[in-house]
Amino acid sequence: MDAIQTDTDLMNLLDRMANRDEAALKTLYDATSSKLFGLALRVVNKREWAEDVLQEAYLHIWRAAGDYRASLSPPMAWMGLIVRSRALDFLRRRAAERMHLTQELDEFLSDTIDGDAPNPMNTALASEQAWALQQCLNQLDNKQREVVSLAYLRDLSHSDLAEQLKLPLGTVKTWIRRGLEQLRACMARFA
Amino acid sequence: MNISKYPQILDRLAANYALGTLRGAARRRFETISRENATVRAAALVWQGRLSGMTELQSPILPDPAVWTRIDNMVQAEQQALAMAAARQSGQGNANVQSDDSSWLQGLWQGLWQGLWLWRGAAAAGALATLLAVVTGVSLQDQLEIRGKQVDVLSAQLKVAPTIEYVAVLLDPTSAESMLVTFDSKSQNLVLQRVGDYQEASDKSLQLWALPNSGGPRSLGVLGGDKVLRLATDEGDVRQVPTLAISLEPKGGVPSAGGPTGPVLFKGALIQKMI
Repeated sequence: MDAIQTDTDLMNLLDRMANRDEAALKTLYDATSSKLFGLALRVVNKREWAEDVLQEAYLHIWRAAGDYRASLSPPMAWMGLIVRSRALDFLRRRAAERMHLTQELDEFLSDTIDGDAPNPMNTALASEQAWALQQCLNQLDNKQREVVSLAYLRDLSHSDLAEQLKLPLGTVKTWIRRGLEQLRACMARFA
Repeated sequence: MNISKYPQILDRLAANYALGTLRGAARRRFETISRENATVRAAALVWQGRLSGMTELQSPILPDPAVWTRIDNMVQAEQQALAMAAARQSGQGNANVQSDDSSWLQGLWQGLWQGLWLWRGAAAAGALATLLAVVTGVSLQDQLEIRGKQVDVLSAQLKVAPTIEYVAVLLDPTSAESMLVTFDSKSQNLVLQRVGDYQEASDKSLQLWALPNSGGPRSLGVLGGDKVLRLATDEGDVRQVPTLAISLEPKGGVPSAGGPTGPVLFKGALIQKMI
């Protein structure tokens, strides 16, 4: 599938949604929901929560479609940021409502880093900008890539990451620093 | 130190800022400098843009189909609320130039709108929203084309509304919806709403009948001229009744024992809601 063609299609759908065209929303949902659900699930790590996040995100996309063009972003990145921000809000609300159960929250979010895991990055529907990022992420060690990804997607500090991944703080800091250095050098070539 | 003069350091800070690993006082300092210095701000925006691609690289997973249903319900509710506001606005100026059809629908709306109390507090908001959306959507688009499907949709939607035990949409001989009947087991009330523009003559009354499988028609009550009517009814009187009918009778109605004496104007199946 040609990436630019897809971006144009998605942008046309967002334009129609700005004019309250419900059929456009359905088409957009069918084309993008599994991609964005994968993202929501990555952030909140629980199907039921990710479904709530997905619902909120699409309602937001529906209401804010008129603002899309001003963002100057590729459409999938714009929608992805909405999903990420809804997912982070969800986790924050959840943590605030259930302070005594934050232990439980951490349990849900805890992941283990598998150094031998295959590259999980998926470029279906991805914009050119995301292609470049994927090229560069590919050059990282699996564990570095994983830590950098989770830091971003879940907006985690070094110590949060160390806790969720059950790794020593120093290790997390080193992986992030090295990963980001490599990423910087690589992304500079795409600038 | 003016970090905009040190591209390496600036780039590293900006990348950490966008990733989110620059925290606390260092983060606030970076934000302050960004507001004052366009070069620093640009570096942060570049990295925010680059990393936003991360949201596009996750593996697709199919969500449950119910998610779309929920989204669709909420969008429909929003659409109909807008349509209703617009209709109320435009309806104020030109009430006299409405065609028969739009006044029919206006009546249906108003009836349903006034009947909102029925569902208020119940967990049926979604179903109600969809029901209203169907009705108002019709008024904005091709009114006549979709009308035939309305009964099915109304029945289906009302069937899932939790506080309502029984529902019937009574049709006239041209299959136009004329009366919405619901039974609320909590208050033991049958609620009738006129949704058509039928108006009986001043010396006549409409009378509601239960048509059981065995035995003759049984009177459930006589309607007044109001748009909405409530009849205290024992649930036993509607249970197992497959059909309701409304006949045109002399003013005040006729005794139940003799059955209807005038023509049956509206008729429809009574549906019991299954929980």
